[in-house]
Amino acid sequence: MPSAAELAWLIPVLPLAGACLVGLGLISFNRTINRLRKPVALLLITCVGAAAALSYGVLAEQLAGAGPTEVLFNWASAGSFNLQMGFRVDALGAVMLSLVTTIAVLVMVYSDGYMAHDKGYVRFFTYLALFSSSMLGLVISPNLLEIYVFWELVGMCSYLLVGFWYDRDGAANAAQKAFVVNRVGDFGLLLGILGLFWATGSFGFEEIGARLTEAVAAGSVSNGAAVLLCLLVFMGPMAKSAQFPLHVWLPDAMEGPTPISALIHAATMVAAGVFLVARLQPVYVPFPEVQTVIAVVGTITLVLGASIALTQQDLKKGLAYSTVSQLGYMMLAMGCGAPVAGMFHLVTHAFFKAMLFLGSGSVIHAMEEVVGHEPVLAQDMRLMGGLRRYMPVTATTFFIGCVAISGIPPLAGFWSKDEILGVAFGQFPLLWVAGFATAGLTAFYMFRLYFLTFEGSFRGTDKAVQAQLLAAAGKGSGSAEHGDEHGHAHAEHPHESGWQMAAPLVVLAVPSVLIGLLGTPWNSRFAALLDPREAAEAAEHFSWGEFLPLAGASVGISLLGIGVAVLAYALHKLDLATAVAGRFPAVNAFLANKWYLDAINEKLFVQGSRKLARQVLEVDSKVVDGVVNLTGLVTLGSGEGLKYFETGRAQFYALIVFGGVIALVVLFGVLG
Amino acid sequence: MFFDFAVFPAVASLAAASAAPGAAPASAADFPWLSASILFPIAAALLIPFVPDKGDGKQVRWFALGVSLITFLLTVGGYLNGYDPSVEGLQLVERWQWLPNLGLAWSVGADGLSMPLILLTSFITSLAALAAWPVSFKPRLFYFLLLAMDGGQIAVFAVQDMLLFFLAWELELLPVYLLLAIWGAKKRQYAATKFILYTAGGSVFILLAALAMAFYGGGTPSFEFTALMAKEFPLKFQLLAYAGLLIAFGVKLPIVPLHTWLPDAHGEATAPVHMLLAGILLKMGGYALLRFNVQLLPEAHAQFAPLLVVLGVVNIIYAALTSFAQRNLKRKIAYSSISHMGFVLIGIGSFSALGTSGAMLQMVSHGLIGASLFFLVGATYDRTHTLQLDEMGGVGQKMRKMFALWTICSLASLALPGMSGFVSELMVFVGFATSEAYALSFRIVMAVLAAVGVILTPIYLLSMLREIFFGKENAELASHTHLVDAEPREIYVISCLLVPIIGIGLYPRLVTDSYRASIEALVQRELTALDRPLGNPPGGLIRRSPLGELLPPALLQAPALTAAVA
Repeated sequence: MPSAAELAWLIPVLPLAGACLVGLGLISFNRTINRLRKPVALLLITCVGAAAALSYGVLAEQLAGAGPTEVLFNWASAGSFNLQMGFRVDALGAVMLSLVTTIAVLVMVYSDGYMAHDKGYVRFFTYLALFSSSMLGLVISPNLLEIYVFWELVGMCSYLLVGFWYDRDGAANAAQKAFVVNRVGDFGLLLGILGLFWATGSFGFEEIGARLTEAVAAGSVSNGAAVLLCLLVFMGPMAKSAQFPLHVWLPDAMEGPTPISALIHAATMVAAGVFLVARLQPVYVPFPEVQTVIAVVGTITLVLGASIALTQQDLKKGLAYSTVSQLGYMMLAMGCGAPVAGMFHLVTHAFFKAMLFLGSGSVIHAMEEVVGHEPVLAQDMRLMGGLRRYMPVTATTFFIGCVAISGIPPLAGFWSKDEILGVAFGQFPLLWVAGFATAGLTAFYMFRLYFLTFEGSFRGTDKAVQAQLLAAAGKGSGSAEHGDEHGHAHAEHPHESGWQMAAPLVVLAVPSVLIGLLGTPWNSRFAALLDPREAAEAAEHFSWGEFLPLAGASVGISLLGIGVAVLAYALHKLDLATAVAGRFPAVNAFLANKWYLDAINEKLFVQGSRKLARQVLEVDSKVVDGVVNLTGLVTLGSGEGLKYFETGRAQFYALIVFGGVIALVVLFGVLG
Repeated sequence: MFFDFAVFPAVASLAAASAAPGAAPASAADFPWLSASILFPIAAALLIPFVPDKGDGKQVRWFALGVSLITFLLTVGGYLNGYDPSVEGLQLVERWQWLPNLGLAWSVGADGLSMPLILLTSFITSLAALAAWPVSFKPRLFYFLLLAMDGGQIAVFAVQDMLLFFLAWELELLPVYLLLAIWGAKKRQYAATKFILYTAGGSVFILLAALAMAFYGGGTPSFEFTALMAKEFPLKFQLLAYAGLLIAFGVKLPIVPLHTWLPDAHGEATAPVHMLLAGILLKMGGYALLRFNVQLLPEAHAQFAPLLVVLGVVNIIYAALTSFAQRNLKRKIAYSSISHMGFVLIGIGSFSALGTSGAMLQMVSHGLIGASLFFLVGATYDRTHTLQLDEMGGVGQKMRKMFALWTICSLASLALPGMSGFVSELMVFVGFATSEAYALSFRIVMAVLAAVGVILTPIYLLSMLREIFFGKENAELASHTHLVDAEPREIYVISCLLVPIIGIGLYPRLVTDSYRASIEALVQRELTALDRPLGNPPGGLIRRSPLGELLPPALLQAPALTAAVA
């Protein structure tokens, strides 16, 4: 019997097969397939579930100490050149496989509840399966080229899913923005891959690393060029993992359905960038300049994300910026040369952030009962409050998520974040300060979200606030009237979501609490799996005297953040609006406008490219074509001639050409 | 319609007989596959007046579809029976003296450069016949021209004689001209005239170059490619001939700034004609560049190639920007075609087997993707009756299948992995970036600029999708028009195109292996002509190491799977 690793190619293929089957069905027998909601969902969940089972098998093998497996075949060739494709399973891949499939299955079960009344239910599940397949393919890719292939495919799935509700303008713009911004990153990634191939003749991670160092040592590639190539490749992860300044697409991507935000834009796809950087460690490690850039970009991102999250009123956007910030932490770990710490944070974050997003989806779903299907209203925290009484499961799990992300021991976030901060403290003290302060901000904004959403009194029925929000969003009274039409259907207060939605929340709460214990610094099973030597070393050098002060400081600042949030939003002892926002209006405006990055982006790139394109078209039609038409006029001698051609007797001209040709042929025939 | 099919065997034997007078085909390999696939559609087209039809085209279209399908089968038959992909030279050769004292001979044959394009031609034409189903205005003439074009275009790719090539090149102008001028949109006369002036103007250079090359060196003039290849032209002569041919083929490909006929012609043509224009006609330019400029004039090519690369980059960026600004759907797609052909130019100028192979694959791939997009444009126009993006919007709510097809084809066009466009562009990129014929700085600048196209393409294609399908439904459009979803025939046409697009994307060797030997021989010829010493190869010395070191060791560990796939 083949081992699970040898069957690993089935992991992406199974969901793909399911997605293709249903997709073909949707195109050929649209109505029938659309009616088969539950069977289709069951089929696709089974496919992804089987992939999950296989992934656990692979992980178990890796835990038992199996070595990496790699299978390749010749995909394209010309001359002496061959492009290889195939798959590769190792510890890092096995961890990601299990993570992605677990969350994918949970999100699919959740979606059955969340999308129950959506017209596009079947299409949604198809996209989900397609995404799972691409993401899993990315994880088992053995070389940079194949990574690029699946990299683009997950980008496409993200495009399709963000634009899922295609009748909404916001979704349409967000989908396009996500794809284009990611393509900007891919531009660098592609050039970097090409350059590395030129320099090393390989697409494989280890070969590139070894040969690039050799080439630099031999002097055939200058150090600067090597650094440049590494940074170009890093552009890909910057876009995909929403690092500054290419993070702009991620918050907008929240226009997609919430299960998507949980699966793709929090837990899995956005982590792909971090994963790729971890894969590329053999390439990056010899170049400290590259590592520094990665660490600095990560730090800027984590500060940026957290600071913007402070002022968000939209629940999902708040969580989105929190994701940006946490991705920054992971990148910081990568830049500090601690990929294991970064990957550990990726895993813990995936669980609790998926849970938080699914929780926010549960809240939105419940709010829609009260305010109608209008994202401007259903996602705004000014209309929430007091939801704990109506939806205890959601509130409890959300609370666990908040504690986990804030870094309170023994929950997951504490161990992973503390590990990153510990590494940063040794490597880049300045960056550690930023990361440390942001830990406090994180605790504050997360509990702000929690208190505004779940505590206090319910504000959802406040028509004045609703109208104000609609006006601010530029959606006039039309939508409000629309809402009133269905007013009779609206409940007075929200309800807890059904079991399909509650169960995944509860399931995710377990790892959110416990998984951190796998990565305790004195006995890290996680590190032992990914990098046994480093884990043994770390365990040997571990001393409580170093660990406790740092850990104590991070817990302290987190508690401070939570304390401020309690004072401001639970006890209302502290009016931050006047105390901070009123005193520093510039800072407040800066944060509320998201560091003005969207505005700059819009002005510089969107408008700029449009203008450039219009000018080029102008040149094309006036100058290039103008010359052509002028030549035509001159050749024909007069406007008379042009008219002659315009009347449609130009066949005559063709005849002349043919006559001329035949005459020439005859002439040469006679002469020859 | 049953009657029509009954006619076919007779016609086929007629065509075969006329193609090979006195020579009865002894076996499948001896059957004149190429002559038959050229002459059969033309001969069948001549029979169209006798097809019983009430004038609404309902009988003629079955006839045309049948003829084009048989032509497709003939080309496939030739590929399967007489073509060996591992042979680099000409195959399926047929040769009869025509005007011996002029050196003119009916000489057809196929090698790796022509075979894929011959198959593409007959394939796309069959689909175009199916796409032309709704044509009801002068259907007899329309299908006559369609079939005549089919034969003419196969001839362009198959003939092995430069004079014959010139005749075929000119002959296919007439059907295109008439198809444009009679079935086009409002500005059809202008567009058709512009098209024919441009192309005919360009083809003067083909004739001049052909005559000059044939008569060079005295003796009996011969226009056959093999004879011309054997001649040693001096460099100056080569440069002149190269420049002339570049103009002629640059018009066809098209190369900016010789492109302005294309948006007009494409903008005015009906969907099936459109498919042929984008799917096949543009490829004639790329094919001819490879066949004449590279194969016959390699020393001049060594001089001109950097220009080709620069022009390719200009094509990619310039056309992508114009496409972005276009508000007319057809013209947008037309400019996107120009942009995609830029990769063909870079590949041709890359001096690497991989890059040239990529150029070839890009031609096939764009033939399929371009045809699918233009077909969709036509199908959308049938419903919305407008091509202005401003007048559309939110169409996706009524036309979901159409939306899905558009999305798939646009993603294919923006080179999404898993589809053919990605593979061909990647091959061109890798081939060019690792080519040793150019200085490192030149390669860097050109690769970076070409990669800008990677950003621009999704910008204009996704903006287009957004403006057509996303958002609130355009109330005015919805009230004026009846937006029905895609019908089975349309889905079938697109599926036929998507099967090879995705097939190539998943496993490109399906196609690349069929022309690999010829392309490698061609590049070898280029490299020998590349007189100048290669100089110090910049960096990356590892690349020049033997194959064993080049491949990842894992390949050597896993020979079983490799063997199984190979």
